[in-house]
Amino acid sequence: MAIVSLQNISKSFGKTPIINNISLDIEEGKFTCLLGSSGSGKTTILRLIAGLEKSDSGKILLNGKLVNEKNKILLPSSKREIGFIFQDLALWPHLTVYENIAFGLNIKKEENVTIKISAILDFFGLEEHRNKYPNQLSGGQQQLVAIARSLVLKPKMLLMDEPLANLDVKLKTKIRNHIKNLIDQFPITIIYVTHDHYEAFKLADEIIVINNGKIEDTGSPEDIQKSENTFVKEFIEI
Amino acid sequence: MKKTIYIITIFAFLFLVIFPLLTMVVSSFFKNGNFTLEHYLYVLNKGTLFLLLKSIGLAFAVALIATLIGGFFAFTLTKTNLPMKNIFKLIFLIPLFISPYIIAVSWVDFFIMFGNGKLFIYSPFGVIFILSLIFSPLSMIIISSSLANLSARFEEAGLMMTTNFKIITKIVLPLIKPAIISSFILVFVLSISEFSVPAFLSVNVFTTEIFTQFSAFYNYDLAVANSIVLIFICVSLLLAERYYLADAPFLSMSLKSHKVKLIELKRSKYFLIFIHFSYLSLSVIIPVLVLSIQSFQGNEAIFGKAFSLLSVNIINSVFYSFTGAIFLLFFGFVFAYISEREKIKSINLVLLITFGIPSTVLGIGLIKFFNTPILNFIYSGYWIIVIGYLGRFIFIAEKLISNTIKQIPLSFEESAKLMGASFFLRIKKVLFPLISDGLFGAFLISFIFCLGELGTTILVYPPGTSVMPIKVYTIMANAPQSLTSAMSLIVLLITLIALIFLFTGHKILTKQKWSLD
Repeated sequence: MAIVSLQNISKSFGKTPIINNISLDIEEGKFTCLLGSSGSGKTTILRLIAGLEKSDSGKILLNGKLVNEKNKILLPSSKREIGFIFQDLALWPHLTVYENIAFGLNIKKEENVTIKISAILDFFGLEEHRNKYPNQLSGGQQQLVAIARSLVLKPKMLLMDEPLANLDVKLKTKIRNHIKNLIDQFPITIIYVTHDHYEAFKLADEIIVINNGKIEDTGSPEDIQKSENTFVKEFIEI
Repeated sequence: MKKTIYIITIFAFLFLVIFPLLTMVVSSFFKNGNFTLEHYLYVLNKGTLFLLLKSIGLAFAVALIATLIGGFFAFTLTKTNLPMKNIFKLIFLIPLFISPYIIAVSWVDFFIMFGNGKLFIYSPFGVIFILSLIFSPLSMIIISSSLANLSARFEEAGLMMTTNFKIITKIVLPLIKPAIISSFILVFVLSISEFSVPAFLSVNVFTTEIFTQFSAFYNYDLAVANSIVLIFICVSLLLAERYYLADAPFLSMSLKSHKVKLIELKRSKYFLIFIHFSYLSLSVIIPVLVLSIQSFQGNEAIFGKAFSLLSVNIINSVFYSFTGAIFLLFFGFVFAYISEREKIKSINLVLLITFGIPSTVLGIGLIKFFNTPILNFIYSGYWIIVIGYLGRFIFIAEKLISNTIKQIPLSFEESAKLMGASFFLRIKKVLFPLISDGLFGAFLISFIFCLGELGTTILVYPPGTSVMPIKVYTIMANAPQSLTSAMSLIVLLITLIALIFLFTGHKILTKQKWSLD
């Protein structure tokens, strides 16, 4: 069974249509990339799955359970067991690394907060930075803190919205490989939004190519590279 | 829960401020239950039309002078490497926070001390002179915020082709034109609505006429008809510039700006420093100095007498202004949040229109609405003054807060939401700590503006609730000038103390280990 199922989803902002009657299934445990150019609607899909937006029509099911219906959020974001890495990472600048990671654990009234934080900091190699503020970390370290902050809550799914977009090419490759190695050790479904097809080919088990709010093609990286779809061919040639 | 707070706040504001104004507008078209335009015929008499034209002419002159002066200093303080420009920028803002009538009293003192200028100061020219001094900093803020947001790249691209002079006239000026026009309109509206300065200088204009008709002749119909004419002028002007003014990007505690291209001053900098010091003398040093000299002249006991006469009013003023600032902070925050996070921008327009309502007109609207047996419990206590403050300054408070919220990415709150944080927890743990400097600034600026409010308060204040500006205004006619000056000096000192709190508090709050960048 698909962990995420979008059925005939449409979404507009004002009079501008962003998502146009999309249906898709995402398999559990896979690394799925939503690939498309800026403004294609991929971030909106992520936000709809997270429950941060309402759809104009269609349904969203998580693990077979209906969570979004036309203009209604049936299951709030906080109960979807989803981690979200925003493009700007959204690390709270007034909280230290430790406090950023502790935030969610405290809200969920989890036990052994300090032990859990120490473990995840250790895992990501961030122990020495625990008392630093986000602006005192490098771009790469900030990425890791954002991921650690999400993973410490043991979500079933991690949604990542172009988390490497603001890094230079060299750092991007390094962090991408590092993240891939680390995340591989967590049994988790990942939906990753990117406009960079090289990144998608490197990371994904499954790629969904989106253009103007519609799905152009889906398949493994190999399938996409061989795609006969005109848009996909042009897009990956750029 | 979030929506309940929105609804309660919006309805409270509609009830307290908007309904009274609407009731006044609607009632002006009825007499004994029948529709009539009779009240407006009063406005068409020669005397009233003359006053209206006089007010328009006066406001036009102030808007022109203030925009020219403000524009000049905005340019020198933003676009040049003038020494000490940050100090000038800060001190030039002071007149904006001092109650206009205090500056009027100090300049009256100046002309009394130097003899023959009394005719000038007690004339429309005196009003123009003082209002220009008061509103020039506003023009400076508006135009300099526009200049500061002008990317250096635009000018650098121009430099490849032409001279500095051409770049200013052909690139910079056209790009900041919206700010110049907005500055002109805003100052025009504020000047035509201004009551305290013409009242203190005994210059009869449209706002003082409304006040006189209402409070001296009890001619409510004429006062209301005149008010509606003034509302019409102010609101239509503000609506013409609504896209820029409703957003008011210049009303911010910490503006993010682009890298600005600076003009290197050579020998001209000495001349410009002289000009800046001269203006500083006119706008700040002379008023403070003259008030101090006049207060202590001849009789040292006068200051003590002024203090004892004002003591109750000081307590009232501080208490009401504090309460008003808390209300402004609450309403301002909720409206700013609705505008910025729920993207309901129409709220800005409503608040802008409220801001354009002249103070005396708001006062009349509040009296008409609350002076009824059912609502008398509000009208008979100090709450009516607090409601007046709310109507007058909510636009400023909301803008200061919303421009701070704008700088905090929505994703900060969304990531907390995904972790299960409730609306209140997100506000408390994520948003408030990040905008604490903006909230503090909005609170203190609201407090300072409430302290100096006269136009609405003088109409609505019930017995036993007199505040500092009213005391100074009412005692002026029957007391020696030195007593009025001493009282004004006390009010000025209280305002300056609040300003010092504002600057030091803001510095402390923004001095932290973390940063948004």
